[in-house]
Amino acid sequence: MKGFLIHADKCVGCHACQIGCKDEHCGNCWMPYAQEQPESGQFWMKVDQKERGQRPQVKVSYIPTPCQHCENAPCIAAAKDDAVYRRDDGLVIIDPVKAKGQRQLVDACPYGKIFWNEELELPQKCTGCAHLLDDEDSPIRVPRCVDNCPVHVIEFGELDELDLEGAEVLHPEYGTKPHVYYKGLPKKFIAGTVFTPADEEIVEGAQVVVTNGEQTYTDTTNSWGDFWVDDLPDGDWTVTITGAGKEKVLNVSTVDEDRGLGDIPLE
Amino acid sequence: MSERDGYTTTVQSIASGGTGGEPTAVDTKDGKIVRIRPLHIDEKYTPEELADSMWELDVDGKKLRPEMKAAPNYMALAYKERVYSKNRVRKPLKRVDWEPGGDPEKIHAENRGKSKFVEISWDEALDIMESELKRLIDKYGPYTVLCVGEDGHRESKDLHAGGGMHATVMNFLGGYTRETRTPDSVEGWYWGAKHFWGSGFNHGGGLIAPPQNNYSNYNVMKDVSENADLLVFDAGDWELTQNYASMFFSRVLKYWEDLGKEFVSVDPFCNYTAVCHKTFKWIPILPNTDVALDFGAMYVMITEGIYDKEYIDTHSIGFDKLVDYVLGKEDGVPKTPKWASERCGIPEHTIKAYARNLCKKRASHVHYSSGSIKTPYSHEPGRTQAYLLAMQGLGKPGVQQLHLEATNMGKEKLAQSSTRPFSMLNHCRMFYPSGQSLPRTAIAEAIRNGHVEWYGSPCIVYVDTEEQFKKFTYPGDPKVALMMAQAMAKRAGTEVPTEEPKISPIHMLWSEKPCNMNCWNGGFEFQDAIRSPQVEFFVTNHQWLENDSLFCDLVLPVTTCLEDDDTMGASMTVGMRYAGYTPHACDRVGESKSDWEIALEVLDRFGMREKLDYGMSTQQWLEYGFNTSQLPTEIDWDTLVEKGIYYPKLEENWRDELPGMRGFYEDPEKYPLDTPSGKLEFYSQALADHFPDDKERQPMAKWIVGGPAEEGWTHDESLWGERCKKYPLLVTANPARFRVHVQGDDIAWYREIETTKVKGSDGYLYEPLWISPEDADAREIEDGDIVKLFNDRGIVLTGARISERVMPGSVVVAKGSRVDPIAPHIDRGGAINLISPEETVSKNCKGFVVTGYLVEAEKLSQEEYDGWKSEYPEAFERAYDPGEGITRDAWVVEA
Repeated sequence: MKGFLIHADKCVGCHACQIGCKDEHCGNCWMPYAQEQPESGQFWMKVDQKERGQRPQVKVSYIPTPCQHCENAPCIAAAKDDAVYRRDDGLVIIDPVKAKGQRQLVDACPYGKIFWNEELELPQKCTGCAHLLDDEDSPIRVPRCVDNCPVHVIEFGELDELDLEGAEVLHPEYGTKPHVYYKGLPKKFIAGTVFTPADEEIVEGAQVVVTNGEQTYTDTTNSWGDFWVDDLPDGDWTVTITGAGKEKVLNVSTVDEDRGLGDIPLE
Repeated sequence: MSERDGYTTTVQSIASGGTGGEPTAVDTKDGKIVRIRPLHIDEKYTPEELADSMWELDVDGKKLRPEMKAAPNYMALAYKERVYSKNRVRKPLKRVDWEPGGDPEKIHAENRGKSKFVEISWDEALDIMESELKRLIDKYGPYTVLCVGEDGHRESKDLHAGGGMHATVMNFLGGYTRETRTPDSVEGWYWGAKHFWGSGFNHGGGLIAPPQNNYSNYNVMKDVSENADLLVFDAGDWELTQNYASMFFSRVLKYWEDLGKEFVSVDPFCNYTAVCHKTFKWIPILPNTDVALDFGAMYVMITEGIYDKEYIDTHSIGFDKLVDYVLGKEDGVPKTPKWASERCGIPEHTIKAYARNLCKKRASHVHYSSGSIKTPYSHEPGRTQAYLLAMQGLGKPGVQQLHLEATNMGKEKLAQSSTRPFSMLNHCRMFYPSGQSLPRTAIAEAIRNGHVEWYGSPCIVYVDTEEQFKKFTYPGDPKVALMMAQAMAKRAGTEVPTEEPKISPIHMLWSEKPCNMNCWNGGFEFQDAIRSPQVEFFVTNHQWLENDSLFCDLVLPVTTCLEDDDTMGASMTVGMRYAGYTPHACDRVGESKSDWEIALEVLDRFGMREKLDYGMSTQQWLEYGFNTSQLPTEIDWDTLVEKGIYYPKLEENWRDELPGMRGFYEDPEKYPLDTPSGKLEFYSQALADHFPDDKERQPMAKWIVGGPAEEGWTHDESLWGERCKKYPLLVTANPARFRVHVQGDDIAWYREIETTKVKGSDGYLYEPLWISPEDADAREIEDGDIVKLFNDRGIVLTGARISERVMPGSVVVAKGSRVDPIAPHIDRGGAINLISPEETVSKNCKGFVVTGYLVEAEKLSQEEYDGWKSEYPEAFERAYDPGEGITRDAWVVEA
């Protein structure tokens, strides 16, 4: 069984994976695996971007997201005439001949990874570049998104050979058992710069304790007065900052968003 | 080249920076590109075969070495979209209402940028070239032809490169007016820091390099890797800028993160490097206030005595004057952190922390040609940032300036400099002086006024600092032109002319880089100038129908780098530099020809073809280029042709090469700078002697905000003058994430990325205006609105993108969106440089200003939109491709 392991925290946002997918499938017809992808509008591989935090503590997460090649694939269930099938290696493929006109497949995917080709009247999606995997003479034997990545964010291979310890899937609540695994998916952060207003100095070495009563995270401010507590679950937190003989307590919620607290005066 | 199953695979160096990029493999079938992918180097060489060519860094047991899969720039990986763009020029194009002959009634100059084009044959196009050149030379003399664009299309080509082939042709026809590429992206260093630390890279570029090493930097990356604790990105966005040539620097950043280095980004925008690396601290700063930050930091360093005093004593002169200024002894204003904070918007405590971190850690500064270095009075931040490096002990282990020309990873035996290709064959007359010249920043002024005076050639490299003290004029002096022609003829061994040439103002423009209005400053003024009947003929060579070409009379279609047989390697900003043999990957698009071929065709009309090609074929030229390089000492031609790529061997002792400015640091007497004193000059006596009355660029950097023109100021582009009352926002116009300068704005695969464009309510993809929530709220602008961005120079339309990544008081619009004219001084494409100042860096510095100037933003009302639509219907009725935007179809009509 093959699958993907995507290291989301290593992604630099260059979109070379998304472009590689376009390069392979736009203007190229790989029947019987896939018809041509239109020049724009479909994202068989998409880098999902999200801006996080508040100035000046701002980051953007980039999460490469292909078809999840689910074990319980809703598209297979929704297809007529076996128009979607699962290969022995686990890749889920839409048969471009049988699937013609089957628009319901687009809505069947909870991940939104099936796209409608108006011109061909065809639902289309990622094939895992199965045409390359099956071609023994091909100069590359992995999906294009994998080959294009300059910093090894995307791994592809036998699931039992990938290091899946601690890996997650997107939306496990859908219950589709994806074969695309992730590490380093963004959680939430609380960050800030601690200073004393009286002398306008940053505070180095301040202790920062973030707790919700059950879970506790700590950090110490650095030579810029900064702390950055990462990988927090969503929740309501008490943040206690102790330094320069002073203490400050803040109530901070990460339910909706990451929290860049800016410059925090210790008074 | 290799073949299998109907597929041909070639190695190609595709890079929009012009100096080559990390290699790609291009798979082609039936003459059409199937895919472009990173080259797997081990398909060509085993690691053992490359052992002598591969560098390795080893810090604390952690290693970095070149990977066997190349890291091409992401632009290269989308290049199929460029080759087969709907915007390609397929046949020569002539503007419908322009006729050759120079008759003002028949050239319809006022319609440039408005009237459309028809396709014509190459025969017709060459007839026009021949007849117009003959007519214009006969009437005005050859100097009436302005050859624009010595930097070319910026595709990476060798024999076929553009950017001076027109000048080569004109040289055979008797002369030309040279448009000199003003030093770009290095302004602050060029006009400022050169007076502090000397010439810099390539003998004149302004960013630091040791003169003793042929002005080349080696092992800077190694020194930084081994010794720096802190990297300060003052003006640079590596993740983006590397797209010039590679993605190698993403790998380097990962390595440095793994080594535990600290990173700080000082930028009005939380840039693409700062947002994706957890390790980066972002310090938001108001645009073009870096000088205030620097002086505030110096105040802390001086008052706390934490700078490298011994180094300053032994390596510099004039430091006492800086101390007097910073402490307020000179002008009564101490440049305290509080003073700095009020100007740059950075909290006082962070300024203090910045100063102490710079001194207490081994800190290198990374400059990648963004931000303050292209602003009004950029010589000031250029100098203050250099002063900071000096106070940190420039050249000390881990204290370097890391820039575009300091990224060589290991010195090769064949290296002639850290940037020069291993073989170079192009015939462009780049960097050749001419009897009449014009800085690119002064073309509109020259056409408008007929007269320009300036100091400095200005050439971007290979130019002494002294040249900034020489005065030049347009029109040129025939006596000087004769002397230059004589000197060059003697050197070339050709017949020495004896008669003074006829020098006249320019009446024809021939461009091999048709993006002056969009790459350089004062774009709207340039458009106005081009609409003058004084310009009787404007021809461009270009691959795509865009920008300046929309304002010309004839477009000659050019091949992309994938369509020529060429020898392109890569010589900078890559992991391993190489030589290449790059045969055409695909069939030519339309009837395009390379600039080299166009030059030969034009010369053919004058019976001079053989003067340029000596009757040799392309293949003979490529082999000749190889044979005249140093490459044959390491590889033979047939092997290069077979492999397509060659990585030259490193010097055995490459690790011992002094890194960057280490020689100067260790022994300033043995490794002096090329300043008058050989040392760092905080106070430049040369500037004092030559420009005693220049209050904008004084002998030492100051906090300069400018003011009204009537008081002798070039700029009033700050938040402390009069104009800011009408235009209160400072714009940052850095390169775009998914373009390289103006290249690639037609790539549908990029345009559909949500941060690349903003879809307006009319379905048009507008260039994003990044604006803070505070500034958007104050103007009742909502995300996705069509926004007018304007100042007294004109209006460009943008689409609002409200973001925490932007410093309030500033907005961000990436440079290089394609021009899409609605009317004079109103543009829909969002080409931001159209509203940049025509005025140059300062009174005596003819560099461009393309960022850090004043604008205002306002939601475009439906009423105004509808008004324009009825007044200028043709602008809104142009064909629009949902993926690629405005393309050739919008501008070409049936004959």
